[in-house]
Amino acid sequence: MGNITLGRYIPLDSPIHKMDPRAKIMAMLIMLVSIFLPAGWTGYGIIFAVTALTIILAKLSFSFIWKAMKPMLFMLVFLFVINALFLKTGTPLVTVGSFVLYSDAIFQTLYIAVRLLLMVMITTCLTATTKPLDMTLGIEDLLKPFTKIHVPAHEIAMLISIALRFIPDLIEETQRIMKAQESRGVDLQEGKLTERIAAILSLIVPLFVSAFQRAEDLANAMEARGYAPGEPRTRYKVLKLAGRDYILLGCTIAVQLCMIWLAFLR
Amino acid sequence: MSISFEHVSHVYSAGTPYEYKALDDVSVTIEEGKITAVIGQTGSGKSTLVQHLNALLLPSEGTICILDRTIKAGEKPKKLKSLRKDVGLVFQFPEYQLFEETVIKDVAFGPKNFGATEEEAMAKAREALTLVGLGQDTFEKSPLELSGGQKRRAAIAGILAMNPSVLVLDEPTAGLDPLGTIQMMELFHSLNKKYQKTILIVTHDMEQVFSHCDNVVVVENGKIRMHAPVSEFFRDSSLCREMNILPPALIRMKDLLVQYGFEVPQEVQDIDGLAKVIARQVKHHG
Ligand SMILES: Nc1ncnc2c1ncn2[C@@H]1O[C@H](COP(=O)(O)OP(=O)(O)OP(=O)(O)O)[C@@H](O)[C@H]1O
Ligand SMILES: [Mg+2]
Repeated sequence: MGNITLGRYIPLDSPIHKMDPRAKIMAMLIMLVSIFLPAGWTGYGIIFAVTALTIILAKLSFSFIWKAMKPMLFMLVFLFVINALFLKTGTPLVTVGSFVLYSDAIFQTLYIAVRLLLMVMITTCLTATTKPLDMTLGIEDLLKPFTKIHVPAHEIAMLISIALRFIPDLIEETQRIMKAQESRGVDLQEGKLTERIAAILSLIVPLFVSAFQRAEDLANAMEARGYAPGEPRTRYKVLKLAGRDYILLGCTIAVQLCMIWLAFLR
Repeated sequence: MSISFEHVSHVYSAGTPYEYKALDDVSVTIEEGKITAVIGQTGSGKSTLVQHLNALLLPSEGTICILDRTIKAGEKPKKLKSLRKDVGLVFQFPEYQLFEETVIKDVAFGPKNFGATEEEAMAKAREALTLVGLGQDTFEKSPLELSGGQKRRAAIAGILAMNPSVLVLDEPTAGLDPLGTIQMMELFHSLNKKYQKTILIVTHDMEQVFSHCDNVVVVENGKIRMHAPVSEFFRDSSLCREMNILPPALIRMKDLLVQYGFEVPQEVQDIDGLAKVIARQVKHHG
């Protein structure tokens, strides 16, 4: 549980860390869209190379990405089994009894695996290099134009920042309660079904109680300090785009155009 | 049968940028049948140390011998459940672990997990709740309806009901009212005297250490700074001052008396004795 790496901020000193969150969020969105353009394996190669370069520039290690991917492996195996059972197109490869494995089952799974890997890589580039607080500032600014059509930009940003703020706390809380119940003989790994259910209940009930307690405390603390949603607010940190942010956006747009061109060629 | 740490280190989040060595080459032997206080500043590693005793945390390096079991770094420990029955651990802020509909059911949860029947568990729960000073009227309440201090008591009862032979308490009296604190400490004291239970108490309260504990372990930056009998530790205030600990009131009083020209013999260890010494010397002068 303590080894969850997906979405975690890694405090390092790199040019990517210094970039403006708005530029990084936009770049991530553009890159994610480009994954879904039908640009074929060449396209994926280019996206992979660009993202890998960003990861190196951000001083992140590839083992970190691998750890973030790990939880998805199970899903991929499951997907492969489903594909192998039901996808009957392409050339037959292996025959075991009445079961035939077709090439498309492998290709389809591989296709999704690659897309998933790229998505994890790209989102990690953003989340690992951007402080949660900066991220919400960025989101709020990017949503600003939509306030005209009554999108509550500030409230959405505040919601996200509070949620992000509580994730590590809740993980810690879960571990604490797990330990406390294990001390009372709860076995979360083994046991009969009824025991398992009791074990999970002993974890979930206190977790909910404390989460609600925290939410209430936070709401009171915010109110006590005069927070009122919807009021105009000034900001301590003002975001400003710098040269490197334009370079980042330029590069991603170039990649995107490249993908569109590749998609047309096919 | 012993409790000992040999060259134990513990690293949190090993292999990530958040890596932190909370215990560093700790070797210590805890005397059985005694009450040992674990003291040290916030973040020094006390909670980390005591969570090794029932294998909630496993050592990154070194070996721990506890009762007749050995826990080695890098090995998967066996017989975990029986270890957890023998070593009861009450967490810092244990009130957040309550979850059953009624207080008594929650206290009975531990014994039931360790194989007691429903009736046995309920009987044990009733006994434990009475021990910690919760009356009949609270038994059928929801744990959420209890006050903070009552929750704390219920959580402690939850561990006592398992009847462990080693009792580990992580700041059990933090946040209790003064009377409740004294009652709780007296309960632990009597459990030790009556049933020879080995007790470890993590605490910041030097008065508790002074009046209820036999030995004291000082943790500093993940290392054992000192391990000594309480009588030796508080013989005079020099050791305490060296470690930035405020000595108990009685020791401070003795210091001041000596400073103002009284003669105070070393053996005097309680208020009564001290009062007699003062009275005798004052009368002498008058
Ligand atoms: N799960 C964890 N992950 C990473 N670091 C941790 C974890 N738990 C504790 N630490 C760190 O280990 C160190 C020792 O923590 P520990 O809880 O043992 O201190 P303590 O002596 O019990 O303090 P206190 O008196 O506040 O209870 C602290 O610096 C803490 O930040
Ligand atoms: Mg602690």
